Amino acid sequence: MPSGNDTKLKQTLAQVLGVPESGIGDETSMDTVPQWDSLKHLNLVLAIEEQFGVSLTEEQSFEILSYPLAKAVLAEHGIDFAA
Amino acid sequence: MNADILADFLSGSHETSTYARYAAVANVLESSTPEQTGLPVLKVALLRNFTAEPLVPVLAGEIFRAGYHPRFYVGDFDAIQADVLDPNSRLYAFQPDFIILAQWLEALSPALTTAFISTSPPDRAAEEERIRLHVRTIVGALNANVRAPILLNNFPLPTQPTLGILDSQSTGYQTHTILRLNAAILADSAETSDVSIVDFMRVFAAHGTANFVDERYWHVARAPLSQKALVPIGTEYVKFIRALRGQAKKCLVLDCDNTLWGGVVGEDGLAGIQLGPTYPGSCFVALQREILNLHDRGVILALCSKNNEADVLEVLRDHPDSVLKEEHFAARQINWDDKVTNLRRIAEELNIGLDSLVFVDDNPFEATFVREQLPDVAVIALPPKAFASYRSLLTAPGYFDTLSYTAEDRRKNAMYGENRRRKALESTALSLDAYLSSLDLEVDIGNPSEVDVPRVAQLTQKTNQFNLSTVRNTEGDIRAFMAADAFDVFALKVRDRVADLGLVGVAIVAYDGPTATIESFLMSCRAIGRGAEDAFLAVVVRHAAEVRGSEVIVGTYAATNKNELVRDFYLRHGFVRIDESRDDRWSLTTTGGHGPNVPAWIRVTNGVDTHAIR
Repeated sequence: MPSGNDTKLKQTLAQVLGVPESGIGDETSMDTVPQWDSLKHLNLVLAIEEQFGVSLTEEQSFEILSYPLAKAVLAEHGIDFAA
Repeated sequence: MNADILADFLSGSHETSTYARYAAVANVLESSTPEQTGLPVLKVALLRNFTAEPLVPVLAGEIFRAGYHPRFYVGDFDAIQADVLDPNSRLYAFQPDFIILAQWLEALSPALTTAFISTSPPDRAAEEERIRLHVRTIVGALNANVRAPILLNNFPLPTQPTLGILDSQSTGYQTHTILRLNAAILADSAETSDVSIVDFMRVFAAHGTANFVDERYWHVARAPLSQKALVPIGTEYVKFIRALRGQAKKCLVLDCDNTLWGGVVGEDGLAGIQLGPTYPGSCFVALQREILNLHDRGVILALCSKNNEADVLEVLRDHPDSVLKEEHFAARQINWDDKVTNLRRIAEELNIGLDSLVFVDDNPFEATFVREQLPDVAVIALPPKAFASYRSLLTAPGYFDTLSYTAEDRRKNAMYGENRRRKALESTALSLDAYLSSLDLEVDIGNPSEVDVPRVAQLTQKTNQFNLSTVRNTEGDIRAFMAADAFDVFALKVRDRVADLGLVGVAIVAYDGPTATIESFLMSCRAIGRGAEDAFLAVVVRHAAEVRGSEVIVGTYAATNKNELVRDFYLRHGFVRIDESRDDRWSLTTTGGHGPNVPAWIRVTNGVDTHAIR
């Protein structure tokens, strides 16, 4: 069972990148999704901050380069992804 | 196309939409065609000296909400001059309908921002002048190459000037330097057609500059606007697009009990309702005062209340603290019928569309009922008991925002009162002809003068029902038509025994060889039904035939969901269909003095036109 936060993160990635939510998984990254360019990245960071109510550091905003990395960064803010 | 995402978005408002949802909507719109959404395209060029891309999803969503399929051209980062100065640039190839010129002062001028104190006073003055010229140059180049409204932001004030509290003690320091620069840019833009100032100073102040600027993404990506700023700023830009596309609402329809005053007048009585100098009555006085301001700005007021009419009128007539009086309301439906029926009656009585109405009610049932039954009506649902918030809930959405404020606006409400008197006259007259004759109608038809231009442009932007082609024009467009030999712009002014209605009609005619094409023909609804439109067409046709020598007059009709009223306007005036199967193009041969006539009860006076017209 995916956690609620997991669903929310997949939804946010899908909304901002304009890709189907079902296609988001461990392999989803800036390298595998053509729409995920540097400008979409900024929109994505802003949307993730909004959806999870967190404020990322500059470093962290660079680090969110894939779905697993986004989970890792959000976990540092206490967002729980355990099933 | 994912229609669910779009439909879901439209069911909410800009307050309920998250940034993630805007992003989703923007993606759907970007990957779908206008044929799929069934909406006209609206092209926006975004020229910027900072990373403004995060604004695009909000702009896309709000433009979609305004009824258009957005398309964007985002100029290269900090490459505004290259785009605007080159007539062959991608910007001009894009042919934008609107241009957003977004500039961030820190990127434009370190001398006036981060290095203010290190810059000498003479250099600061020179820098002020340089920025002013820079903006003027860009605007001048845009005006020379493309006819599209320019939305130009001013600069928010610094929150942490180096001099701290001292900074506000001299007009030579940073805060006042930026105020002066903003004022200079405003002065220049006020003299230029088609430039509107998007007031970042006000929007930032309203939400707090500290909340609106994100230093992290300024440093990381030259993107100064915070996540919290994106929706308010994107929405602010689209207010201008709505206003310039004639979407301003015209009429405010108000509930009475617990909206205009606290309590229920039918139960609590005149002395028992809450309306006066102390809480909670003061909240209702404040709301009424704001409603009166809207009235004085030209918004039509109407009442829609389940009540005994006599009880409501007693408050308006006799309550000492009621700012609003009976004469401020152009229409009222105070009865026990449902509000949907009453709103329809009000729209009909005032001759305006349901989509021109804003309905205010504190009762969640009524608000929801109207929202569901009449989706065209904008609804402001006042939260029960939160009286102090009512005033700002009324003004915050900007439903009545326009970009002009004319003498006609100030007089409009008086005119609706006069229309009621005229209707009273109508009911006593023996026949319509006798009534019309009794009005002593006079129309004045001629080329508009410079002072008429804002009103002429406003009419093209606001008129929906009596509008044959529904082409929206800016003041710049109108001046260009007036200056061109191949065009005539006609303004119709109407007065009668009861009142002077002022400038109520516009026609724009293009001449090409023996053909005159009526590109625009429109009239304000409040002048309908007296034959002024017939006189107007007769004079325009006669002018084309006798002064311009046109042999064929072509009339165009572009059907919208508002202008059914004039579908057969040309037919009724002797025009014939150019293509038998269609209603969109009509023609009339003028040889032999053929053409529509001025109704017998109308006197055409003409002080404006240089050409003689009988």
